[in-house]
Amino acid sequence: MSTAVAAADRTPVASPRGETIVEFENVWKRYSGRDVLTGVNLTIRRGEVLCILGPSGTGKSVALRHINGLTQPDDGDVRVFGSSVVGLTEEELSPVRRRVAMLFQGGALFDSMNVEQNIAFPVREHGERPPEEIAAIVAEKLTMVGLPGVQRKMPAELSGGMRKRVALARSIALEPDIILYDEPTTGLDPLTSEKIAQLIVDLNVRLQTTSVVVTHDIVTARTVATRLAFLHQGRFQFVGTFDEAARGGHPVLMEYFRSMGFPCGTGVFQVPKGV
Amino acid sequence: MPLTQQQPSATAIFYRNLRWLRFVDRFGRKGQQTVEYLGGLIQLIGQTLASCFSRPFYSTEVLHQMDELGVKSVSITGITALFTGMVLALQTAYSLEAFGGKIFIGRVVSLSLVRELGPVLTALMVGGRVGSGITAEIGSMTVTEQVDALRAMAISPIRRLVVPRVLATVLMMPVLTAIADVLGILGGLGIAVLELQMTAQDYITSIWQQLQISDIGSGLSKTIFFGLEIAAIGCYNGLQVEGGAASVGRATTRTVVLASISILVSDFFLTKLFLAL
Repeated sequence: MSTAVAAADRTPVASPRGETIVEFENVWKRYSGRDVLTGVNLTIRRGEVLCILGPSGTGKSVALRHINGLTQPDDGDVRVFGSSVVGLTEEELSPVRRRVAMLFQGGALFDSMNVEQNIAFPVREHGERPPEEIAAIVAEKLTMVGLPGVQRKMPAELSGGMRKRVALARSIALEPDIILYDEPTTGLDPLTSEKIAQLIVDLNVRLQTTSVVVTHDIVTARTVATRLAFLHQGRFQFVGTFDEAARGGHPVLMEYFRSMGFPCGTGVFQVPKGV
Repeated sequence: MPLTQQQPSATAIFYRNLRWLRFVDRFGRKGQQTVEYLGGLIQLIGQTLASCFSRPFYSTEVLHQMDELGVKSVSITGITALFTGMVLALQTAYSLEAFGGKIFIGRVVSLSLVRELGPVLTALMVGGRVGSGITAEIGSMTVTEQVDALRAMAISPIRRLVVPRVLATVLMMPVLTAIADVLGILGGLGIAVLELQMTAQDYITSIWQQLQISDIGSGLSKTIFFGLEIAAIGCYNGLQVEGGAASVGRATTRTVVLASISILVSDFFLTKLFLAL
């Protein structure tokens, strides 16, 4: 079944004036003697798909990991659901992490478990449920990501794209309010990338979640993004819609668009279909 | 008035001592790294012990690890002890034969094995097999972000990964050592009877006269500490891995080296402690 909704056809669920769900305030982060984030400010609104775009190594994933407290800032504040996640212990972060799922770059599936055990894992960990109910949740989530019936397979038997889908099914198992995607299409062929991108859009609408997608791929960004945030030299240099960016955003962003083969800055922005 | 010799300038002194300064600097950095490492390790042990006594418990995982880390180590520790017992019998006979001391073979073999060689050799073998295995597994999980995935799902990697491995190793070490002690003594018996023309009766009587419950107790108690050291070092090095496959390899080597050293060093202090008790 294909319930994927193309970016162009879907009705935007995020009101531009939606409630703020995540907020970065003057966040600084230093890694091995290098300033990665230098006073980052950003607000993410409920229901939108915010795409953090930028070249490799600019600290996009680092910024993303601040949202669920996997990384703590050196300075500044990050507020999720209205309360700060800075300086909290792992135990104190638990309530936030249960509502914020994360899809890791390589999927991060547990190799010692099969697909069903992987998806059931967070469900079993957070509450007692009968086995039939867990099996039903697993089957439902697998159908949602378009991979019904692979419960018994081991992660090593899956292709890169399938692994990402199973990991995505595991992320949505607890029905999170926010899903963080770290490079969801990296290492996949263009066709699979596009399918994953459409799945992200589709899930955002169906599960009524907020999504934050880190990518360096403009094609993915075009498909998924309600808004773009361009990270360069440790700060978000541009935040706005894809069309606004293409009409004329930050000069480096323009350069980035052109290097990826997207004509832009001409006033009339047309992306050829099928890119 | 004789001319006084001109004093060397501060810069000259600095350059003359540069080699020493570099040495001191490098030494200081190494010292700092060692202190940081030990601090991290002790912190992990503290968190692990605290987590052992509060929910959630992963009892199935503990049993699985007892099988994986303990039961599957029986052959390697058993063979080690068996041949050590055989060699001890041969060497003791060689040294004591001139003094007519063959009747002491049972005593020497059993006492050496139960008090010292059984626990230490078992720990060294387990340190090599289990410690390296733990680091390789947790290290690979760290580089493939599986440990972060656990944290992101609000599941503590310490409870889920570290506690079951530490508990399994601590519980299985005395069992493995007891098996090793028995096999080592049997190895000695085999040599005494087949090579040294002793009767099994003499060998066993000699053991019976000498061996005390306290000898067995001190030998087995030590292994609980060895188990804790091996598993804690294995887990800590695994969680500290950064980068890719090469770092996992380096961390695994470091575990074997550090676990072996810590077993030998702590054995000295534990022996002193138990002798004083």
